[in-house]
Amino acid sequence: MTDTPELEALRSEVRAFLAAHAPRNWRAASRAQSDFVATQRAWFARLVEAGYAIPHWPAEYPGGGRSLAEQKVIYEELAKADCPRLLLSFVSTYHAFATLHECGSREQQERYLPRILEGETWCQGFSEPGAGSDLAAIKTRAERKGNVYVVSGQKVWSTMAQFADKCLLLVRTSSEGAKQAGITYLLMDMKAPGVSVRAIHQIQGDEEFAEIFLDNVEIPVSERVGEEGRGWAVAQATLASERGLTLMELSYRMRGALGRVARLIRQHGREEDRGVLRDFGALTMQVDAVCALADRFLDNRIRGIERAGDASIVKNSYSRALRAYSKLGLRLGGMDEQYVAPITFGDLNTGNWMADFMNSYAWTIAGGSEEVQRNIIAERMLDMPREPKDWSL
Amino acid sequence: MIELNELTDAAQKAFPAGTLSPSREKSWHLAAELGWLMVRLPEEDGGLGLGREASTAIHHEMGRVLSTAPLIPAQLGLGAVAASSMARRSEWLERLAGGEYAPLHLLAANLRASSGGTVSGTVYGVFDADMAAAFIARLPGGYALIPSGAPGVSFHERPIWDRSRRLFDLVLDGYAPDSELKLVGTEAAPALHDLLAAEAHLALAADCLGAASAALDMTIEYMKMRRQFGRPIAMFQALKHRAADMKSRIVLAEALLWERVHNLDASNIQMAAAKTLSAEAFAAVTEEAIQLHGGIGLTEEHPIHRFMKRAMLNLQLCGSPDHWNEKAGREALAMLR
Repeated sequence: MTDTPELEALRSEVRAFLAAHAPRNWRAASRAQSDFVATQRAWFARLVEAGYAIPHWPAEYPGGGRSLAEQKVIYEELAKADCPRLLLSFVSTYHAFATLHECGSREQQERYLPRILEGETWCQGFSEPGAGSDLAAIKTRAERKGNVYVVSGQKVWSTMAQFADKCLLLVRTSSEGAKQAGITYLLMDMKAPGVSVRAIHQIQGDEEFAEIFLDNVEIPVSERVGEEGRGWAVAQATLASERGLTLMELSYRMRGALGRVARLIRQHGREEDRGVLRDFGALTMQVDAVCALADRFLDNRIRGIERAGDASIVKNSYSRALRAYSKLGLRLGGMDEQYVAPITFGDLNTGNWMADFMNSYAWTIAGGSEEVQRNIIAERMLDMPREPKDWSL
Repeated sequence: MIELNELTDAAQKAFPAGTLSPSREKSWHLAAELGWLMVRLPEEDGGLGLGREASTAIHHEMGRVLSTAPLIPAQLGLGAVAASSMARRSEWLERLAGGEYAPLHLLAANLRASSGGTVSGTVYGVFDADMAAAFIARLPGGYALIPSGAPGVSFHERPIWDRSRRLFDLVLDGYAPDSELKLVGTEAAPALHDLLAAEAHLALAADCLGAASAALDMTIEYMKMRRQFGRPIAMFQALKHRAADMKSRIVLAEALLWERVHNLDASNIQMAAAKTLSAEAFAAVTEEAIQLHGGIGLTEEHPIHRFMKRAMLNLQLCGSPDHWNEKAGREALAMLR
C-alpha cells in the first residue's frame, strides 16, 4: 500500500523526531535489567510527550486517535530507526487499555487510563501452572465476602510482573457448568497484602517473566470488569488487543538485523562458501516473505478483511523465521558462540547467537504456542473437524 | 481490485475447478477469446494493457486446474516482441494477438555462432513447439524471432513426468537469422532478459500457488472423507498440524508474490525469490499431499500425483532454488555492508 500525502507527512514528522531523539546506545546500556527498566521508562515518557506512544487510543488522549494506517507508519519508523521496543509498557498500553476501553466502567477508565500515560505499568495474570494452552482451566479461586473478593492461587508467565503496579487477573468464581462460565475478570493492585512475585530465570539469563503468588488477596468488587462469571469474554478483548502491529514491527527488525549474519559470514571468511550463501539467501527470502505477510495482514485489517487463522499464520511464520535466523547465526558463529557473552535485555536480534536462539522459543511458545496456532489454522481456516471434547484420561 | 476479482471469477467460470488439465486446444482458444493472450500488451498495440496483477491472477487460476495451454511462454514471447524494435513488429503482434503462438523458452539454451553468422545448437525448455508459428530465443547476436519451418530449424518432444505439459528441444542447425526478425541486439539483450525474467518469475510463482492451493483443497477434502479408527482422519491432530503447515507455506509465499507484483524496484534476484519460495512451497505441499492420501496417492487413477509432477518441473524452470538461493545470498552479502 502506498502512502497518501497525509501518511507521507506523518512519516517525515516521525523520522525527524527519531533522528533527533532515538536512543543510540540502548543495547550497551541494557546489560543489567535495572538499566533496561530505566531506559524503558525514559523512552516511554519521551514517546508519550512526542505523541507516539499510544496512537491506537481514542483522540481524547494526547497522541491518540490515529488510524491503523497511521499506526503502521509510526511502528515502521520506530523499527527502522532501531529504537528499543516498548516492552515494559506493552501490557499497559495494549492489553490494559483494550480491556478497560471495551469492557471497563466509565469510572475504571477515568481512574486507570491517564495513569498509564504517567508511567503506571500493568501485567497480565492469565496463565497458571495447570492452564497454559488450555487457559479456561484456571484454578485461582475468588470468593466473594461482602464488598471484596478474596483471591488465592498462582499465576505464571506474567511478563515483567516484577515491575508492575497493577494486574489484569483472571479468577474462578464458580466451578459449575462450562469451565469458561465460572471465570471472572479483576483488576488487582500488585502492592496489596498477600501478593508476592518471583522472577523466572530463563535459560538465556533474562528475567522477562514472573510468577505471581496470591494468598487471600482482597480485591474490591468495584475492581471487577464486567459481570461475575463473564470474565472469559472480557479476556478475549484483552487477547485481541494488539492487532498485528507487533509482528510487523518485529519482522522489520529481523530484516534490519540480517546485517549481523552478513558480518558473521565475512568475519569467518565464508563469503565464497556456496552452502552458506544458499542458506543465507534462503533466509533473506524467508524474512522478506514474513515482512510482506505481516504487511499484507495489516493492510487487509485496515480494509476490514480478516479470515479466521490469518493471525496464527503470521505468528507461526515469524517465529519460524526467527528460529531459522538465530540458528544460522549460531551455526556460522561455531565454537565462539559456546563461550558465555553478556546478554542484552529486551531485544530478539542481539548477535549473541546462543542467547538469541534460546530467546526465539519465547515466540514459538508464548502468546499461544505454535501447536495451538496450528489447531486454529486447521480447525477455523481449513474447517477440519475438532477432536471429541468428552474424552479424558 | 474489483477488476482483479472479476478476472478471477471469469477464469474460474471458464476453467471450473473440477476439470483438471482440460484439452489444450480448447483451453488455448478459450484463453484467446477471453483476451488473455494479450492481457499485458499495451493498448496502443491493440492489447488490454493490464498490469502484472492481472496476469498473476490468470496464471494462479491456470495453475489451479493444471492448465495444459502454454500461456506463460506465450505471454513472455509476446512481451519480447512488444518490447523489441523488430522491423516486422506490428505484423507479428497482430498475428500473436490473433491467436498464433510464439513461445519463449524457459530453460537455458546452448548455442554457438559460426563465422558466417549462422547459429547451431539446442534451445531447451520450449513448451508445445508443434503449436508454434515461431520461437523467441536469445541467440549469440541478441533476441530473435525464429519462424517455425525456417531452414535449419527443427524440434522434437522430450517426454516429461509432468503430463499436464509438453516440453520440446528446439534444434538449430546452421540457422541463418533474418535481420528483419531480430528483436534486440546484444547490447539491449540483458535489459530485455531482466524484463522477461521478472514476468516469468511472477507467472511461475502464481502457477505454483494456484496449483498448491488446489492440491491442498483436494487433500483436505480427502482427509475429511477418509475414515479410519472410527473417525475421519482429518480429526487426528498429528495430521491436522501438517495440513496447517501446508496452508501456512502457501500463504507466506503468496504474501511475497503479491509484494513483488507491486514492487517495481525489486531486482531480478528479488523477483526470483517469489518464484523460489512459491515453487518450494508447491513442492512441499504436494510431497505431503501424496503421503496424506495414503495408498490411493500412489495410484495413477487418483489425480494428486499430477500436482506433484508439475511442482517438480516448476522447481527447475527459470533457475532452480539452489541457483537462486546462492544468488540471493551473494546479493544480500554485497548489500549488507
